[in-house]
Amino acid sequence: MAPVLLDVFIARNPAKEQTRTRALLRFVAAIALVALALWLSLALQVRFDNPFWFFLAIAVICSTWIFGKGPGWLAVGLSSIAALYFFVPPYRNWNVRLRDFPFFLTFVLCQVITNWLVSWRIDTEEKLRRARDELEVRVEERTAELKSANDALLHRMAEQRRAEEALQATRAELAHVGRVTTVGELTASIAHEVNQPLAAVVANADACVAWLGLQTPNLDEARSAAKRAVEGATRASGVIARIRSLIRKTPPQQAPVQLNQVIEETMAIIAGQVLRNQVNVSLELAPGLPQVLGDRIQLQQVILNLMINAIEAMAAVSDRQRQLLIRSKFDGNQRAVWISIEDNGIGVSAETMVRIFEPFFTTRTQGIGLGLPISRSIIEAHGGRLWAESAEGHGSVFQFTLPGADGAAL
Amino acid sequence: MKEHDPIVFIVDDDPSVRDGLESLIRSVGLRTMMYASGQEFLRAAHPDAPSCLILDVRMPGQSGLDLQRELRSTGIQIPIIFLTGHGDIPMTVRAMKEGAMEFLTKPVRGQDLLDAVQKAISRDRRLRQRRAELMDIRARFDSLTPREAEVLKLVVAGLLNKQIADELGTSELTIKTHRAHVMEKTRADSLAHLVRMSEMLKRSIAE
Repeated sequence: MAPVLLDVFIARNPAKEQTRTRALLRFVAAIALVALALWLSLALQVRFDNPFWFFLAIAVICSTWIFGKGPGWLAVGLSSIAALYFFVPPYRNWNVRLRDFPFFLTFVLCQVITNWLVSWRIDTEEKLRRARDELEVRVEERTAELKSANDALLHRMAEQRRAEEALQATRAELAHVGRVTTVGELTASIAHEVNQPLAAVVANADACVAWLGLQTPNLDEARSAAKRAVEGATRASGVIARIRSLIRKTPPQQAPVQLNQVIEETMAIIAGQVLRNQVNVSLELAPGLPQVLGDRIQLQQVILNLMINAIEAMAAVSDRQRQLLIRSKFDGNQRAVWISIEDNGIGVSAETMVRIFEPFFTTRTQGIGLGLPISRSIIEAHGGRLWAESAEGHGSVFQFTLPGADGAAL
Repeated sequence: MKEHDPIVFIVDDDPSVRDGLESLIRSVGLRTMMYASGQEFLRAAHPDAPSCLILDVRMPGQSGLDLQRELRSTGIQIPIIFLTGHGDIPMTVRAMKEGAMEFLTKPVRGQDLLDAVQKAISRDRRLRQRRAELMDIRARFDSLTPREAEVLKLVVAGLLNKQIADELGTSELTIKTHRAHVMEKTRADSLAHLVRMSEMLKRSIAE
């Protein structure tokens, strides 16, 4: 508190003191002017023997004009006293004769009127100046208002332009999707997807025939080649089944689904892949997870797709144990079932992350880039949300939530 | 199998395709080595034997064409048989220009692949032989003294002993002695043989 008060004092005092000193100086200057006028009058009177009292009138005018009304009135008073003493007979005496009284009165009256006229003029000028300043301030205010309005307009225009650009980009993207979804392109992608396992089938079948055709057939080699041929054929038919299920547009079935059970079934489906890739799988499934309402097959496709993605993301990892962690839990607040599939694979860079849910975007040489967008649309069609988090080089977490079916705890 | 038996390298990222090809090639009695990527192939040690490389064009990361270029730039000469899902013409032309032996589309017929492999291996065998021969000739030629090398140059250019002596400012007898040394050191049976060997060397340097 004290320093603030002190601040106010220090800040105010010099200014106040300055104005007071100036006012004092103006009064002193008025006195000096009157004294000068008196000295001139007396000097000239001695020389020419006439009363040169009109210098006093000039002193009054100058005082008011230059130093203000206060000093002006002081000059009027002083000059009247001086006139009474020096210029009203009997000279150099305070006494006034009756017949000289009108002269003295006229003198004082003239001084007062002069002073009043000059004051009035100064006031008018002051008012005019103030009005002009006020006008300037107002013009400045209006200019600022205009400028801010102008800025807002420019900002809005930029915003609109940005929106238009975004619209344009969306349109271009749509056009792109439209283009790549033409039958030819899609067929080429599918052809490649199917071709790879077919190549394996043909090579293995050829090998099998060759091993059997030797003079002493090598049955072990032939058997394992035949097995690989079957594997490849199964893979090819899996691809076809996947594509067919993508194309099929049957309305999703609505039935209670226990996701823990679906996860366990899916684990059985990919057990071979898990083994081949030497992946360590851990399940942390919440007991008594509520059921969700939905299409069991579609939801299984999502989980399968996310698991296969996770395994493939770890294929290039050789410096650490490949870990696949699948968790489920129930979020009581949101009344939602939450599933997360976490790997410690190569991860996804930030640039890639923004695009992974775009149709036909893929980082793999095999794959048509529809897995994630379709998974997301399935989850969203079930009223849920699917999203991903990843640290490049450390792995990814894909997770989704689905609304729990009411009161259907298992 | 012996150290110098032919060997087929297979580079394909798809394990089941790789296994099938490997089994097929092994069934005709050839040695095989498999790699999941070009990097893996480059890192591995390769036995000194006639060989060829079966290479998948489309692989994640380094593609087959990238590997071909890298092999070429490091001076490794090996016949390459490319496998591709759907090879387009520009890609095929590029690979062939870079020296690919064969370009086969997947799924490849077993017999076609085996034929290509046999052709590639016999070509590699020929190339290796030629390289060995050349190395031998070069070693012999390198053993000549600077003076003998000068004489050789002029002999091969078709000059007579007398002319060579004039050119080098020495006696015909000295040239005769140098010439005998050259024939002996390079193990040339005749002047024609000497010329042929020096032509071979010249060509190999030009290449």
